[in-house]
Amino acid sequence: MRLRRIELVLRFLLREWRAGELRLLVAAVLLAVGTVTGISLFVDRLSAALLSESATYLAADRVVASSRPIPDEFEAAARARGRATARTMTFPSMVFADERNQLVSVKAVSDGYPLRGVLKLAPAPFGAGVAVTGELPAEREVWLDSRLFPALGVEVGDVIHVGDATLRVGRVLSDEPDRGGSFFDFGPRLLMRMDDVPLTNVVKPGSRISYRLLVAGVDDELAQLHTQLEAKLGATYRWMGIRESTPSIGSALDRAQAFLLLGGLLAVLLAGVAVALAAHRYARRHYDHVAILKTLGATPSEIQWGYLALLGAVGGVAAIAGLAAGGVLHLLIVAALSAYMPLQLPLAGVKPLVFGAVSGFVCLAAFALPPLMGLKSISPMRVIRRDLDVAGIPRTLTYAFAAIGTLGLLLWYTNSWRLTLWTIAGISGVSIVFGALAYLLLRAGRRLGMQAGSGWRLALAGLARRRGESVAQILIFGLAIMLLLIMVLLRTALLKEWQTQLPEHAPNHFLMNVAPDQVEPLSAMVRGHVDQMGELYPMTRGRIVAVNGVDTAAWEEARRAAASTDPNLDSERNLSWTAVLPANNRIEAGEWWNEQPNEPAVSLEEAYATSAGIEVGDVISFDVGGVPIDARVASIRRVEWDSMAPNFFILFSPGALQDVPATYMTSFYLAPQEKAFLNRLLAAFPTVTVIEVDKVIAQIQSIVGRVTQAVQLVLSLVLAAGCLVLIASIQASGEERLREHALLRALGASRRLVRGALGAEFALLGVFAGLIAAFGAEVTVFTLDKQVFELSPQLHPWVWLAGPLLGGAVVCGIGLFGTRALVASPPVLVLRELG
Amino acid sequence: MTNPVAKPVLVARRISKVVPINDGAAEELVILAAVDLEINAGESVAIVGASGSGKTTLLGILAGLDTPTDGTVSLDGNELTQLTEEQRARVRGSLVGFVFQSFQLLGRLTALENVMLPGELRGDADPRRDAMELLAKVGLAERSGHYPRQLSGGEQQRVAIARAFASRPKVLFADEPTGNLDTVTGARIIDLLFGLNDAYGTTLVLVTHDARLADRCDRMIELDGGRVVANRASAA
Repeated sequence: MRLRRIELVLRFLLREWRAGELRLLVAAVLLAVGTVTGISLFVDRLSAALLSESATYLAADRVVASSRPIPDEFEAAARARGRATARTMTFPSMVFADERNQLVSVKAVSDGYPLRGVLKLAPAPFGAGVAVTGELPAEREVWLDSRLFPALGVEVGDVIHVGDATLRVGRVLSDEPDRGGSFFDFGPRLLMRMDDVPLTNVVKPGSRISYRLLVAGVDDELAQLHTQLEAKLGATYRWMGIRESTPSIGSALDRAQAFLLLGGLLAVLLAGVAVALAAHRYARRHYDHVAILKTLGATPSEIQWGYLALLGAVGGVAAIAGLAAGGVLHLLIVAALSAYMPLQLPLAGVKPLVFGAVSGFVCLAAFALPPLMGLKSISPMRVIRRDLDVAGIPRTLTYAFAAIGTLGLLLWYTNSWRLTLWTIAGISGVSIVFGALAYLLLRAGRRLGMQAGSGWRLALAGLARRRGESVAQILIFGLAIMLLLIMVLLRTALLKEWQTQLPEHAPNHFLMNVAPDQVEPLSAMVRGHVDQMGELYPMTRGRIVAVNGVDTAAWEEARRAAASTDPNLDSERNLSWTAVLPANNRIEAGEWWNEQPNEPAVSLEEAYATSAGIEVGDVISFDVGGVPIDARVASIRRVEWDSMAPNFFILFSPGALQDVPATYMTSFYLAPQEKAFLNRLLAAFPTVTVIEVDKVIAQIQSIVGRVTQAVQLVLSLVLAAGCLVLIASIQASGEERLREHALLRALGASRRLVRGALGAEFALLGVFAGLIAAFGAEVTVFTLDKQVFELSPQLHPWVWLAGPLLGGAVVCGIGLFGTRALVASPPVLVLRELG
Repeated sequence: MTNPVAKPVLVARRISKVVPINDGAAEELVILAAVDLEINAGESVAIVGASGSGKTTLLGILAGLDTPTDGTVSLDGNELTQLTEEQRARVRGSLVGFVFQSFQLLGRLTALENVMLPGELRGDADPRRDAMELLAKVGLAERSGHYPRQLSGGEQQRVAIARAFASRPKVLFADEPTGNLDTVTGARIIDLLFGLNDAYGTTLVLVTHDARLADRCDRMIELDGGRVVANRASAA
């Protein structure tokens, strides 16, 4: 008996499939699964690729950094897990060549360096760099930055002296992956072997050295390693990933993921709408079917199980096909973009596939289950009383299912209550406003329609007659078009924001170690060559020894959260002083000194002060080159680090450091083709250190560019999903229109008039939706510009033209395409089919 | 003519149907008022009356498609008014067949599949064989693979009749079976219906406006304003 039931259900499924009834539903679920899978696969692989590409800026996946030598046991632990490791030491040192000398940043590396990214060598100083792999300086050999050649007056093959060691200049070093970092790491680079460091004798107790242990591996294993070492890391050794090491790259990644996520969210919601439309249409078309089955003896529970099995089968078929489609889709994207994306995409995990399949079933349960489950309560009386109301499932229950499903999916996808609730609040608000606007437009249209020609009059009358349905459709179309418009506007805003974040002529060179007597001649030389030179900041180095009379170590112990990424309070820092608050700085607490205060005062950077637990009014004791100075915290500043201008954690009031020897630093913009100026500058001032920030900027810009491309890609997927929702929704309302127009034709209307009226109706729906979409997009982008991107908001007149045009063309085009066969068929057939 | 020794297969006692009128909360519309009737096995009964007299509602209640507001209906010993919808569906599946004015074939199934449905739902071993036999009896064996839209109105009604008898019903209910057909086709359908009814020994209850159809029945029950105003043997 049970076997027979299963056979009956299977036969039912096959007949439903053969009749084409399930195609729209399967297509909608397939769209959901396919879009989610495609986006997830792509996002998964892309973010993994972005992360691994970003890892090249660290030369590793994780780094243990410290001012003390990294214990061998750390490296042993990493190796025990089969991880590749390498070590680096970075320290400033004077380098001598014949009569010239120059302060350089020495980087000594062990075999295996770099674990991620590549070294680039140039054939001659300032030549174009060529990547090399597996090559490092030979024994007693150094590779030098281009600008060290003129500064030291050496050529490849000459010898130089670092401390006690005499080393041969081997190659011209053009670039290294982990060049960025802290300021004192910015000196011209000298790369040498770690094994040669003892020969130099420059490493003494108290030397300012940055030690790093580089580790490569996958996230899970690295996390385990981190757990294993955590207790031993303490405050002395910092465990760093890409996010901690280079904040601007970390935030670019975060932003990229947020935007990709937003795209995924929209795709899921649009797919949900498509599933709901398809399921309601399917259920509506089965009222009579179920009533007849009931008269023939089918029980409500048989009906219920039959349709449940049907949903399961639809889900299964759509999931399998959707996963395949999603896979193909993401491969197509990858293939299409391979020319623009020189990234090697790592293989995706299983997660996107699971996500896609589960999303499909959740969509079905949330959007398709209620209307289909309502079928079991269809009265069999319907076979003799067609006008009988369909009780079905209460609307509130339908909406509750949709709401719970949407909430669940959003939560699962975003992993954030806040983002989920904001999205839902936004959509609800938009629905209410759009519904009201659509209603007003329909009323206005009805009035205008009185004066219109017969085709338009029919169209407007049709829209007004089904007001509720028309409002819902305008709302859906409007929402889809609005999202597209917002995305286009947002993309513009986003690019604009990133461009303003890194202005075209942002300073790209820093000059440091400028002696007081060099300030004037050097300023004159630079000003004679470049348009703009930044402020000159005095600079010295010092450390904090006590806060409010409490020894630093004790203060930190008591105050600071045990976050291993926080900088040590007592580590040596660059100190400066100025009378004027630097641009890109904003006072968050306390007051900036407008006059020279009587007692020494300092201003601290916000994050630094917060992590150290220091507030306005606290007294900090400094040791500046052996000179003790007490200063009261006058203000806390927020600093735009991305501005690429010189910035300081600690700024003193003028005069506070007057007894301390200092050097000066400044910044300026130099066009790439004028790099030769650096040679002349260094020849004139050999002791000055030049930092080429443009290389760091180029790195950041390339990441930002990639991220923008990724977002655009996901948007194009969302756009496709939106179009498919339009098709589902036109099909869902198609039948009633067809019946009416078949009647019209039976009453003598020409096919042309009917087709014209249909076209006009779809076009009007689209135009109304487009108008509302334009309104919504303007309001949203206006708000985002103002609140999020801090851009001055502006109106976009083209949106008011593009919205209605796009809406009218797309809805009319898809509508006429979807109904072409039935308009062409004889009205009697249409009427008989639709009953 | 009512057979005095025949057992009643369908008994309705004081059934009434009252529905609230949507506009006025307290107002009610009485569709059927305390209708009593008995129909014997093998009898053919026509329910006649003007539009709105309640005959379709009565048919629905007698067939277990609808429930009365008050009163009881017993179909072959099953107290329909005491049963759940689940149980009523089983009674319908085992005892009742239907023929409708608008044929009510499933447009997505072929003629054969439509006729196979009752047997499939009942779990028959070979519903196809039975269905083919019935299609042959209504003269549509050649059209078994056609869909309803490919058949004429008369042909569709013949398929519907075949499907009704595929239920192996004790009672066949027909709602205006000739209402959508022309006179000639209607007459053929009437012949077919009564021919099969005799062959299978089915009880026939039909609602009709068609005097010829009503005249072919053993008995005629006339409704007016939801009440039985006449219950008499047909003229024929």
